[in-house]
Amino acid sequence: MIIPLQHCDQCGTCIAVCPADALMLSEFKVIVDHEACTECGICVKMCPIAALEVKNED
Amino acid sequence: MKTNWDVIVVGGGPAGLFAAWEIAKAGKSVLLCDRKREMGVPVRCAEACGEEDINKYLPVEERWVGAKTHSFILVLPNGKEIKLSNEKYSGFILNRDLFEYDMAAKAGELGAKIMMKANVIDLIHNDDGSAKGVKVDENGTINEYYASVVIAADGVESRIARKMGIDTTLKAKDIEPCVQVTASNVNLKENALYIYIGTNYAPGGYAWAFPKANNCANIGLGINGKYASTEKHSKEYLDEFLATYYPHVSVQKYITGGVPVSLTLKTLCKENMLIAGDAGRMVNPLNGGGICHAIDSGVLAGKAAIEACEDTLKIEKIFKKYEKEIYKTIGKRHESQYRIKNLVYQMNDEDYNNIGDEILKISEDKRSFFRIFSQVVKHKPELLIDVVKAFTGI
Repeated sequence: MIIPLQHCDQCGTCIAVCPADALMLSEFKVIVDHEACTECGICVKMCPIAALEVKNED
Repeated sequence: MKTNWDVIVVGGGPAGLFAAWEIAKAGKSVLLCDRKREMGVPVRCAEACGEEDINKYLPVEERWVGAKTHSFILVLPNGKEIKLSNEKYSGFILNRDLFEYDMAAKAGELGAKIMMKANVIDLIHNDDGSAKGVKVDENGTINEYYASVVIAADGVESRIARKMGIDTTLKAKDIEPCVQVTASNVNLKENALYIYIGTNYAPGGYAWAFPKANNCANIGLGINGKYASTEKHSKEYLDEFLATYYPHVSVQKYITGGVPVSLTLKTLCKENMLIAGDAGRMVNPLNGGGICHAIDSGVLAGKAAIEACEDTLKIEKIFKKYEKEIYKTIGKRHESQYRIKNLVYQMNDEDYNNIGDEILKISEDKRSFFRIFSQVVKHKPELLIDVVKAFTGI
């Protein structure tokens, strides 16, 4: 599961590269649509400040 | 509040603001929605701008101008500096927050309705697929607004066009994840724009230090997305860069942002929607500059929207004309810039240093772009055609 972290700056870089259009911004954070998300992980790499992480579901 | 508008503009950056300003000037009703809390804030930009970029539309106000500059200094991976000065080039660092704040006020004075904390979360479609309006989250309340024309000026995210079925997704190689600090204790010689190239600092991109005010500069970098990894993000590159070149800065601002470095979108209109600025991928892919193209496309989109409101039956023709005009003035040029970028960023530090040494042999007053690129071309002959195209505008 892709999890946005607290230090997200809402710059939108992750949204621009998301092939599933699974990310959007609210006023204070980026929101992940987990149903649409394919967990390709490109957003995790592209974030300039590493504010997204992959969390394995148990 | 009024729910029906001639035009709805999504996004209050330079593209959206100039579109709204243009439309309001023509007496059409226009609603501009912006997600942010405050117009112009946070600035996600290194803010370098040519004087004419704005002056051709309205006089530049003093408070918009950070520092004026006439020269560039290119710093090679080995630390050697190449100065390029051009008295004809008159640029400045734009205080974009104040600029956008004032442009919003100017558009508002002309009758545009501007809303902040108004997050456009979806498009509302008509049965024929065209846009009926937008769904807006205003402080937790969802409201609907309708318009004859929607302008998507929502920046790098570019989600509104996707809602219309236009794929705006950027590939990793076509985006530069960037970080920047605005910092003091920085004295840039002659207020020059400093550009640092080197695969250590900014693989597939460059680092910059642009004079913002006395003793203060925007210092940042972008790496090409294909070099971004979960182990090393742009922020770690900036930390290393600052430690090397600017270890004593005091930081007042820290921002992040993604700069699209792709080709301009071929599709810039669909049904009754127009796309302008970064959302249409109009940034120069070689240098990452986008303010001027955002302004130009915003004005053109505004004009097209006005025309379409007056003659709804000809909307397709009017919008296709906009698309063609953008290709002619921006898109086509960026095709060669894009190819140059791909070749330049394939070079290694040794290539950069060698070319730099050749350029340093040319005396400072004779360092024209032509002479410099002839040196580059000597090392990378395959660049020749694209360089010629880029500088002649063919």
